[in-house]
Amino acid sequence: MAILNDFEYKKPKELDVALSLLSSHHEKAKILAGGTDLVVYLKEDILQPKLIIDIKGLSDLNKIEISDDYITIGAGVTFTDIIESKNIKEKLPILYQASESVASIGIRNRATVVGNICSAVPSLDSAPALLVYDSYVLTQNKSSKRSISIHDWFTGPKKTTLKPDELVLGIKIPVIKHTGVYEKLGRYKGEDLAQAGIGIMVYDTNKYRIAHCAVGPIPKRMKKLEDFLNGKEISNEVVTKAKKIITEEIFPISDIRSSAEYRSHMMKVMFERGLKKSIARAKGGKS
Amino acid sequence: MKKISINLNGETRVVHVEPEETLLSVLRNKLGITSPKCGCDRGDCGACAVLLNGRSVRSCLVLAMETDSQKIVTVEGISQNGLTQVQNAMLDMNAFQCGYCAPGIIISATELLENNSNPNLEEIKEALSGNLCRCSGYLPILEAVKESVKEDSHE
Amino acid sequence: MNDLKYVGKPSVRIDGKEKISGATKYTEDIEYGPNLHYAAIVESTEAHAKIVNIDTSEAEKVSGVVGIYTGKDFPFKFGLYMKDRFIFAMDTVNYVGQQIAAVVARDEKTAQKAAKLVKVKYEPLPAIFDQMEAFKDDATIIHPNLGNYEHVPWFFPQANTNIAHWRKTRRGDVKKGFDDADFILEDNYSVPRYSHCPLENHAAVGLCDLSDRLTIWASSQSPHTQRNLFAESLAPLGFSHKDIRVIAPPIGGGFGGKAGVSMEILAAALATKVKGKPIKILWSREQEFYNTSQRQGLLAKIKIGAKKDGTFTAIDHRLYWDTGASAEYGANVVNAVGLSAIGPYRFKNISIDSVCLYTNLPPCGAYRGFGYSEFMFGLESHINRIANELNIDPVEIRKKNAIRENDTLAYGVAMNPNGLLECIDKVAEKIKWKEKHKTKDINTKVGKGFSLIWKAPAMPPNASSAAFLKFSEDGSINILVSGMDMGQGYLTVMAQIAAEILKVPLSKIRTENPDTDRNPYEWQTVASHVTWSCGNAVRKAAINARNQIFDVVSRTLYLSKDMLYLEDEKVKCKTKKNFELPLKDFVINGIQAEDSTFKGGPIMGHGLFMPEYTSANSDPETSQGGHPNVHYTVGAAAISLEVDKDTGEIHIEKAVEAIDVGKAINPSLVNGQITGGLLQGLATVLYEDMRFDDKGKMLNPNFTDYKIPTAKDVPDEIVPIIVEVPQPDGPFGARGVGEHTMIPAAPMIANAVDDALGIRIKSMPITKEKIALTYLKKEK
Repeated sequence: MAILNDFEYKKPKELDVALSLLSSHHEKAKILAGGTDLVVYLKEDILQPKLIIDIKGLSDLNKIEISDDYITIGAGVTFTDIIESKNIKEKLPILYQASESVASIGIRNRATVVGNICSAVPSLDSAPALLVYDSYVLTQNKSSKRSISIHDWFTGPKKTTLKPDELVLGIKIPVIKHTGVYEKLGRYKGEDLAQAGIGIMVYDTNKYRIAHCAVGPIPKRMKKLEDFLNGKEISNEVVTKAKKIITEEIFPISDIRSSAEYRSHMMKVMFERGLKKSIARAKGGKS
Repeated sequence: MKKISINLNGETRVVHVEPEETLLSVLRNKLGITSPKCGCDRGDCGACAVLLNGRSVRSCLVLAMETDSQKIVTVEGISQNGLTQVQNAMLDMNAFQCGYCAPGIIISATELLENNSNPNLEEIKEALSGNLCRCSGYLPILEAVKESVKEDSHE
Repeated sequence: MNDLKYVGKPSVRIDGKEKISGATKYTEDIEYGPNLHYAAIVESTEAHAKIVNIDTSEAEKVSGVVGIYTGKDFPFKFGLYMKDRFIFAMDTVNYVGQQIAAVVARDEKTAQKAAKLVKVKYEPLPAIFDQMEAFKDDATIIHPNLGNYEHVPWFFPQANTNIAHWRKTRRGDVKKGFDDADFILEDNYSVPRYSHCPLENHAAVGLCDLSDRLTIWASSQSPHTQRNLFAESLAPLGFSHKDIRVIAPPIGGGFGGKAGVSMEILAAALATKVKGKPIKILWSREQEFYNTSQRQGLLAKIKIGAKKDGTFTAIDHRLYWDTGASAEYGANVVNAVGLSAIGPYRFKNISIDSVCLYTNLPPCGAYRGFGYSEFMFGLESHINRIANELNIDPVEIRKKNAIRENDTLAYGVAMNPNGLLECIDKVAEKIKWKEKHKTKDINTKVGKGFSLIWKAPAMPPNASSAAFLKFSEDGSINILVSGMDMGQGYLTVMAQIAAEILKVPLSKIRTENPDTDRNPYEWQTVASHVTWSCGNAVRKAAINARNQIFDVVSRTLYLSKDMLYLEDEKVKCKTKKNFELPLKDFVINGIQAEDSTFKGGPIMGHGLFMPEYTSANSDPETSQGGHPNVHYTVGAAAISLEVDKDTGEIHIEKAVEAIDVGKAINPSLVNGQITGGLLQGLATVLYEDMRFDDKGKMLNPNFTDYKIPTAKDVPDEIVPIIVEVPQPDGPFGARGVGEHTMIPAAPMIANAVDDALGIRIKSMPITKEKIALTYLKKEK
């Protein structure tokens, strides 16, 4: 399948140049990092940009920066980089686990976390982790910088709050001590898009943060569920009540990948199993 | 049309490409490298895998211009001084049938064994799970990768 | 046959090194030169409509476009068993994706751009997407000219209906059989459409030179049959068989999808319009899904009667097939099943109706298993249920009713020698049938499932194979045959057969995929018949060459022919211990006689095989009187799994499959068929499913949503068991095995899920979602 659209390709070495190009082209320009979504869209003629800006020449964006309080993941950082980072495995285990569940190695070697949130498909695997971590998306245009809460980032299926002249520089993630899991529903063990996903974080004493993907128009935190669970020791009774709340916070659809009924059922199963796993991990950590 | 220079299987190759040409198409149609195959054209099947700076990538999802001044290795390069140990194990065990997926799988196996000289079965499955094969049922391929590692430890 | 040196050995495939070094040139990999052109296809967006107008004016203006062609350029029908297709749609379209026009251009991008500018105006007609709708009396007629279509004599299309073929088989007294039964079970089973998914998409290149020599390179299972169909279809343009050459490079998987003719005819036809320029047509993965051929959907209604002791008394099996917009190949699948839907069981009272129905979905055709996987899902599920109802062990009920040598088949012919009971016993032992294993996970339940295997090649009664075999100066051999190695290892097996007869090592034998100009005839590489049929031809060619060798040695060196034998690439003599003559010394240049002249010359063997005992002629109401099938290959399989009751996820711990292959010419390759075929079968039951929207458009024409298994989705262990009860007319006793390996997969999963969770799922696929939701409902 040939790409039918004609465009220019540029690979700037300076951030300023990239921002100028964006500012002069707006929607006509598309950012290329890993290309695992973009090139498919070009082949299917879903996008017809006039300019492709390859940001792999911007070496500052290819880094994972670690400080005591934050981890910042640059826009050029691939899922493989994430998986190979000891710091992320230790400090952001939910993101690590989500990254491992993305596609396959040949894709993860190219695809970036930032690209994942920019595609903003409802099934994006990295979203539940970034949501429970209360992450920030760092963007910049020619004149200013923004730090956008991940909770405000997704505005609809395949839609974000990013402006056409803005470039995402990276994602800033606050580091707090926790355990957790990302549970994903796929049609088999091999690579698949999430038909439902849930990220569960357990921290402090009986504090919980939970977020979903693929069971609503955008990935989201499950606040009612968190409010119910916070402060509670987990028992079978608590879990049974919590499972009822899940239904109120998700809006699964039926499509060729899965029925709404199964998505809904599996969210409860994954919640219960994921929660128990997280708590077991937390206890394991203490001993 | 832009002139790019790539290190392809150890040799510098200069080629003129358009922005919309993929690496897969340039390898196959302009550089005479046909081992990477176009099985799905959207990154699902892994038949077009090549090593880009040592990492396996889907050449159908890479624009040729992105590879200017980069290093690319295909199965032609891997095989140029005779078959590698893992290829020999695959050959001896009749691991492949139609062979169309073989180049992609050999790329994935090569990447794995470069980074991990003694992978366990789960690691082998993870490394190869991005390459679809319709003929073999995978077990003979997994077996061959394991076998090649075993021989390694005997040396 | 105790001292076989090459046959029966797990040799490395002779084309292994080229595949593993990346050297193999598939159709798309061959260089066709700088004059290569590309064609892009304009496809129907409607499932059933009249074509009101095709406007090509905008497309014609695109620079680089060489020509645009439509149905009116090729008003020719084609089809393998029934001529019900046109090269391009004529006045109506019958499915979404049907080719309407082609744009030929100097490059791929131009062709595709211009194809997008062709505007087709339609007048929609009522469309049918369900075979039971098509079967209704008042259904829209999809092929109004069905009554006039040319077809093989064993098809019975019904004019002014959507019934492309109805195979009826009747034997014994079915009413009495059910009257005699202590227990009768009647139920329906459904199977959706499936896609072959070879990793290599269909590809074809056509070149008609200025002398009207037409060459087609195609990724094909059927080069000679394609040549025949191209010649028949293009005869009005003045082409005869001798003018047409099909070159079939190695193919990247077939599974039945590259049998017969589908898109290849476009390359042949377009080449005749753009002479002197090779034209390449590559199917995209999407097109590979919706416009090649698919496996037919099936609704099966099964009624079986049994005695208390488990003895079957009667079967009434009605099968309704969704063949899509063309039945040219699919109707023969329907036919094959109509003759064999008793399964590998002794039934005296039989009624089978196998009905082929047109719908407005893409055409269907051959798919590994040729209908048997589809009906065996229902039949083997049904038999398990009968066993459970009668409180008889599912393995025991199968053994009790298993067909034996010389039992009468549904169409009245005796069953061939077979090792079915041996297969059943070996599988039951290996899977530890009577033992229930334990699971550590509280969420999972364990189950085991069993199924038998049964299939005959479905071939015209005069399908044949032929072989040439020639020596070179160093005593090495080229075998020329026209079967296709699509991965099964056919080329290696042919070499092993010749090696055994001529005592030449495999390293000195080359067998390659065919070119119809150079290689002798082969019907098609389908039906799991080439090892048997072409193997016989190669065996005869080798014997023929051996006779030539003995003849020249005998007449020049005065040795009795009867005393000569071959060993280690030499001619030796039983009565003259010191005599040995290396083949390389004379197989080209002959033997120098005492008078210094030379005798003999290049040794060239030839052989052919046609099963001279078959006949497709029988009573259309009962199917009695003919001899449609050459033999059945049988076997048994079982599975041991854990299933998560909440998620529905299945984990297969062990699968065991035993097949009676007659003689495994190469056990390593047979094991490869078992492992690969079984996983393909498991994929159809666990993951795959072609989905269409309510307008007949396929919803999942890609691997993102049509899930074929990855390396992570394999059973922990597959145990292949080879049983060898020789086929009397097979080479070294061999019979086919390729398709059979996937047949038991679906019913044994259904049976194991029932064993584990007590739920009976009667529609494929049996996905984790279906299992979880069915179990959830049961528990409520």
